[in-house]
Amino acid sequence: MTDYILQTEALRKAFGGLVAVDNVSVNITRGAMHSIIGPNGAGKTTFFNLLNGTFKPTSGRVIYKGEDITEQPMHRRIHLGIGRSFQITNIFPNLTVLENVRLAAQAISDVNFHWFRPASRYTQFERRAFEVLELVGLRDEAFYPANVLPHGGKRKLELAILLAPDPEVMLLDEPTAGMASEQVPQLMETIATIKAQGNKTIVMVEHNMNVVMGVSDRITVMNLGRVLAEGAPAEIAKNETVQRVYLGELYGDLSEAGGAHG
Amino acid sequence: MNRVGKFLKENWLYLTVLVLLILLPHLIGWATDSSPLGVQRGDRFIMRGQSTYWQSVFIELFALAILVMSYNLMFGFTGVISFGHALFFGGGAYITGMTLEFMGLEPTLGLLVGVLLTLGICGLLGLTIGLATLRLRGVYFAIFTLAIAEMVWVFFGRFPATNGEDGLTLKSLPTFIDPTQNRIFLYYIALAAFAFTFFFIRRLVSSPTGRVFQAIRENEERAKAIGYHTLRFKLFAITVASTMAGGAGILHGILNKSARPEYLSVTHTVDALLMTIIGGVGTFVGPVLGAAGLELADVLLRDAKLTLGTTVINVGESWNFLLGLVFIVVVLVFPYGIVGTWHRWRAQRRKPK
Ligand SMILES: Nc1ncnc2c1ncn2[C@@H]1O[C@H](COP(=O)(O)OP(=O)(O)O)[C@@H](O)[C@H]1O
Ligand SMILES: [Mg+2]
Repeated sequence: MTDYILQTEALRKAFGGLVAVDNVSVNITRGAMHSIIGPNGAGKTTFFNLLNGTFKPTSGRVIYKGEDITEQPMHRRIHLGIGRSFQITNIFPNLTVLENVRLAAQAISDVNFHWFRPASRYTQFERRAFEVLELVGLRDEAFYPANVLPHGGKRKLELAILLAPDPEVMLLDEPTAGMASEQVPQLMETIATIKAQGNKTIVMVEHNMNVVMGVSDRITVMNLGRVLAEGAPAEIAKNETVQRVYLGELYGDLSEAGGAHG
Repeated sequence: MNRVGKFLKENWLYLTVLVLLILLPHLIGWATDSSPLGVQRGDRFIMRGQSTYWQSVFIELFALAILVMSYNLMFGFTGVISFGHALFFGGGAYITGMTLEFMGLEPTLGLLVGVLLTLGICGLLGLTIGLATLRLRGVYFAIFTLAIAEMVWVFFGRFPATNGEDGLTLKSLPTFIDPTQNRIFLYYIALAAFAFTFFFIRRLVSSPTGRVFQAIRENEERAKAIGYHTLRFKLFAITVASTMAGGAGILHGILNKSARPEYLSVTHTVDALLMTIIGGVGTFVGPVLGAAGLELADVLLRDAKLTLGTTVINVGESWNFLLGLVFIVVVLVFPYGIVGTWHRWRAQRRKPK
C-alpha cells in the first residue's frame, strides 16, 4: 500500500452560491513532489486554504498521517508539520527580513511565552533563520526591513518563512508568481535542492507548465473547483480532456513541452 | 562585570534620566530656594513652594506616562485598538478609594489591600473583556471596549455610595503617602512605579513574547499561519496593559485624593491614543516623550497669552483647540510619530541605494 501523508476526502468549499472546491479527493504520497495546475479561479488556492486550515471546509475531510485534522485550527497545523507559502506575498512588512524568518523558527518552539529574557539570547532561532536565508539567497539582505525587498526578494522570503520551521509537508502556492522570468530558475533550483534532500513532501501550485512537467512526480489538474485529471506528468501531457479544456486553450499544444521531459 | 558594562552602555541615557528624576525635587528646591518637603508649620508640613508644586506635576506625569506606556504595549506593539482604556485608569482610582473608605481597615493596610485588589481586578477584567470580545475584528472590539467603559462611567456618575458626579474623596489615606502632607514620598513611589513599568515593558517587548506581539501588529493572519495562537498573545498584552493602567489610576487617585467619574471618561483613552501616535506608535520611548511633552506643555502654557496683532489668545482657554492643531501638524510632518519618523530617517540612511 502506498504511504500517503496527506489526503482529502470529498473536500468541498462553497462561498455562498459559488462552489470554489467541489468534491476534491486527492492522495499525496510521502516524499513526493505533487503539483496542482489549473486555470485561474480553478480553486487551487482555496484548496490550499482548506489544507492549512485557513478555512473550514463546507464538507469533506482532511487526513494527515492517517488522522482527521479537518477541525484543527490553522495555527496548530504547522506544529503538526504542514507549512504553507502564499501566492500573494504575505510577510511582516516593517520587521527585518531576518526577524520574519526568525519568528517562523521560534513559532514551533516552547519559548513563545518566555516574556522576560531578551529574544536575542535564544540564538538557535537566529542561527536557523540565517541557515534558511543562505539557502534561498537572501543572506545579505537579512537586516533590511522586509518591505524594501524587490518583488523577487519577497518571493524568496516567502519561501524562507515556510522553510524555517522545517515542515514535513510544504504547500507552495505559485512560488514564482509575478517573478521576472530570469529569476525563476534560481528559485526552482532552491526548491529542487530541498526536494533532493528527500525528506519533504512538496505540494506545489504552479502556472509555469514547463517547470511543473520537469520537476513533478505527480500532477493533479483542477478546473472549476473539480479534479479534471490526475497522473504522472507524461500522462497529463497526453490527456485529451486536459489538452482541450486547459492546456490547449491557454498554453497552446503542450505535447511538445511535456514530451521533452516525459 | 562584562554584563554590567553592557547594561550600562545600552541604558546610560535612561539611567541618567532616572538619576535626574531622583534628584529633581532637590534640584528644583535648590534652584528656587524652596524646601522639597514644603513649609513647616509646627510638626506638620504645608505643601507650598516651587519644589512641591513641581512634584505634583511630575507625579501626574508619571501616572500619565504609565497609562500611555500600557496603551502603547497594546496598541503600538500588538496592534490592538481599545477605546476603553480609561475604564482601568478610573477603575484603579475607584477600587483603591472604595477599599480605603469603605472597608474600615487601618489606613496602611487598607492602601495595601486596595492596591492589590486594583491590580488583580483590573488584570482580570482586562482578560475577561478580551476573552469575550477579542474574537471580534478590529473596530468592533474597539467599539465594545468603549461601550463598557462608558457604561461604568455612567454608573459611577450616579452611584450614591461614591457621591455620584462629585466623586469619592479619599479621607483615609495613610499620612506617609498623603500628597497634602508628605508629597515627596508619593513622588518617589510614583517615580519607582514609572521606572518599574518602563523597564518591565522594555523587557517584555524585546522578549520572544514581545516579538510575537509585533508580528501580530504587522500581520495577524500571517502570524497565525506560521503557528502562533494569536488570541493568547493578545490576551496577555491586554491583561498586562489593563493591570498597568489600573496602577496609573491609583497614582492619579492618590495625588488628587479622590476618585471621580471623569477619570473614567474617554478623554483619558483619547489622550493615551494621541500621545502614542504623536510620540511614535510601536517605538518605545516615543509615547513616554509624547506624554511628558503634552503634560509639561499643558502646565507651562496654561496661563500663557499669545498676541497676534491685536488679538490676544488665551492659551489655557483654547488648549484643546491648540492640542488638535499640534496633533494635525505632527501627523502631517511626522507620519510615524516623532520618534518613529526619526527611526525611519536613520534606517533610510543606512539602507544602501
Ligand atoms: N474568500 C473568498 N470568498 C469568496 N470567494 C472566494 C474566496 N476565495 C476564493 N474565492 C473564489 O473561489 C474561486 C476559486 O479561487 P482560487 O481558489 O483563488 O482559484 P485559483 O487559486 O485556482 O486561481 C474564485 O472564483 C474566487 O473568486
Ligand atoms: Mg491561486
